[in-house]
Amino acid sequence: MKFKTLLLVALAIATGSVAGAKTIELLNVSYDPTRELYTDYNAAFAKYWKAKTGDDIVVKQSHGGSGKQARSLIDGLQGDVATLALAADIDALYDNAKLLPADWQKRLPNNSTPYTSTIVFLVRKGNPKAIKDWNDLVKPGVSVVTPNPKTSGGARWNYLAAWAYAKHRDGSDDAAKKFVAALFKNVPVLDSGARGSTTTFVQRAIGDVAISWENEAFLALKEFGADKFEIVVPSLSILAEPPVAIVDKVVKKKGTTEVAKGYLEYLYSDEGQDIAGRNFYRPRNPSAATKYANVFPQLQLVTIDAEFGGWTSAQKTHFADGGVFDQIYAK
Amino acid sequence: MRNFTIIRRTALVAALALTSTAFAEPADAADLLALREQVRALEQQLKIISRQLEIKEEAATAAAATTPKITVNDKGFTLASPDGANSIKLRGLVQLDSRLFFSDGGGVANNAFILRRARLISEGQLAKNYSFQLVTDFGGSSVIIQDANFTVAIDKSLQFKFGKFKSPVGLELLQSDSWTFFNERSIVTNLVPNRDLGVQASGDLFGGRVNYAAGVFNGLGDGASTTNADFDNEKDVVGRVIATPFKNDAGSPVQGLSFGVSASSGREKTASGRTAGYKTDGQQTFFTYAATTIADGRNWRVSPQLDYRLGAFGAIGEYVVSGINVRPSPTGLKTELQNKAWQLAAGYVLTGEDSSYNGVSPRTNFDWSAGTWGAFEIVARYAAVKVDDAAFPLYAAAASNADRAKAFGLGFNWYLSKAVAFKIDGYQTRFGFSPLAPAVPTTQILRQKEQAFLSRFQLSF
Repeated sequence: MKFKTLLLVALAIATGSVAGAKTIELLNVSYDPTRELYTDYNAAFAKYWKAKTGDDIVVKQSHGGSGKQARSLIDGLQGDVATLALAADIDALYDNAKLLPADWQKRLPNNSTPYTSTIVFLVRKGNPKAIKDWNDLVKPGVSVVTPNPKTSGGARWNYLAAWAYAKHRDGSDDAAKKFVAALFKNVPVLDSGARGSTTTFVQRAIGDVAISWENEAFLALKEFGADKFEIVVPSLSILAEPPVAIVDKVVKKKGTTEVAKGYLEYLYSDEGQDIAGRNFYRPRNPSAATKYANVFPQLQLVTIDAEFGGWTSAQKTHFADGGVFDQIYAK
Repeated sequence: MRNFTIIRRTALVAALALTSTAFAEPADAADLLALREQVRALEQQLKIISRQLEIKEEAATAAAATTPKITVNDKGFTLASPDGANSIKLRGLVQLDSRLFFSDGGGVANNAFILRRARLISEGQLAKNYSFQLVTDFGGSSVIIQDANFTVAIDKSLQFKFGKFKSPVGLELLQSDSWTFFNERSIVTNLVPNRDLGVQASGDLFGGRVNYAAGVFNGLGDGASTTNADFDNEKDVVGRVIATPFKNDAGSPVQGLSFGVSASSGREKTASGRTAGYKTDGQQTFFTYAATTIADGRNWRVSPQLDYRLGAFGAIGEYVVSGINVRPSPTGLKTELQNKAWQLAAGYVLTGEDSSYNGVSPRTNFDWSAGTWGAFEIVARYAAVKVDDAAFPLYAAAASNADRAKAFGLGFNWYLSKAVAFKIDGYQTRFGFSPLAPAVPTTQILRQKEQAFLSRFQLSF
């Protein structure tokens, strides 16, 4: 072998070895209560991706109220993936900045919602105000903690679950509106996100009941002690489907399309689903769902599509400026 | 009987006591419960108010992170992005001067009020590392763009500047027009280039103890500023190194000592390259090359310089030698001329504020009702220029030019605030002449020493 050939081979090996040792950074822009879920999941995914490709993955997390997080992405936050509380917030990425295609929800199974959750009540140990169902939350003297639906995805689920309960009970939207208005009269503090709301109830000891993501309620029990709080499951709640999506415009610019896609797809894997269950999210995968079946109580769950005609309609009617929430809260 | 009475009384008291206890206890317990409930409710209210305040503060902090910042102070008006990476700043400089000349033989209309400078200064930063400056001067007979440049900052040790800006040679010339000791810079500034077009690398090294600048410019005659055009293909290479070796030695008497050297080298071949006039402190021309003289060949300058500050005391000194090859006509004899100049100037802030290359910051502003007066400074300067003997008579007329000037000045500066100043200076300049000059110069102002009184009202922000 001539010297020139040797040199070329050596160069090829050197560049190959350098090129093979990539460190890729992703930013996951998520909503408030997913901190613990994605801390676990990121570690698992990094291990999986390293084994698969040899690349090192560093996933950074950004958390806040789902609506606020969507606004940050629209304003230029360079998130590779959005894992938000509700589809309307990811729709906003298309509507306002064309960051992803309009049909983003069709790109992954289950309408791009790898796990689900629902809305339950967190009360103080012994349930001193004897709260059993939604109708207990409108009673005089009951102090209710829930975040602001204008900024928090979780709060919108809370609001819609209460609305659905009242509508099912009383049979009309007018009755539901009066019920939700009465409920919000008992809310002394509106946090911007679900985690803030948990802080208000758990750490600041404000309120008799917190309307909470199921996973957030379980986490509060785990973190702060089952001797201090307990979960009350209402007679009816809503199937919360937090979706995930690649932010196309960002990943194309950063060259992270492949890894971002792999990151979201792995959420549907056995390991991804197990991590979701471990963190109190209801897994989609039947085997994982079976494994964690005893954790999650059975209750009547309505869906956003059936009850409110989907997120676009619900958003416009209830949460847009001048919508029903503005009308009842302004009063 | 008495015992019975005692027993009866005792029984009555006991019965009353028991009755009152029986009735009082349930009443106290209810009160206690009510009080406890009130305390609990009040405690909840207090917690709610605290949390609401906490949320408001969080919202304000979040809003601050996305709200542009507007700053208005005596340094200008600044609009900046929340992260400070992008900003635009508007500043201004207005100098209204009065010039009075004494014993100048009459016949020269030189006593006047003049608008020396009226500048609108726009500066800004884009994406943190890119900055720009645009200085428009409305003070002369026509509007001039004094500076128009942008800078790319790699880091503190390396920045690239492109456009029109001051060539890094003269110490006093590089100082801001607002903050020189005297209203007019010394006659040494006649020998260094002013604003030129080019590209420069600069930065701080060794923790800021060494500052350097090096660049390539179109090249200018002594004291000249570019007209935004170049008349030849030749370029000047310019460099300057300043050391402040004791900068970090707090308390040392030499902490404020800076010294260094600047130099330029290039070639010129232009009719307009070297014929700028030399002016006195009173801004009257005492030397100029003949109109037919042209630059043709190498030019160079060397200028050792120092700046010293110790509390209220400040001083600067610089020496310049400027070499130029000239011809009396396109085919005439080529000669290298070396003109030299030096100055030493000092100031003392009477009110105790620190003297600084970047101006005096008064501890108080002048405020008649509050009885505060701002800052006062006295300044003195001696400077001299010597034109090469070989300049006469082939390249400059001996009869109408001085070949040397020695200037002495005293001044008093009143800083009403950081932005407003009133300055008065007295200058005396003595002239010398070539042996070839006649007994009486043909230029009126050179027939006697120049005695000038300059005052200035300055607004600089």
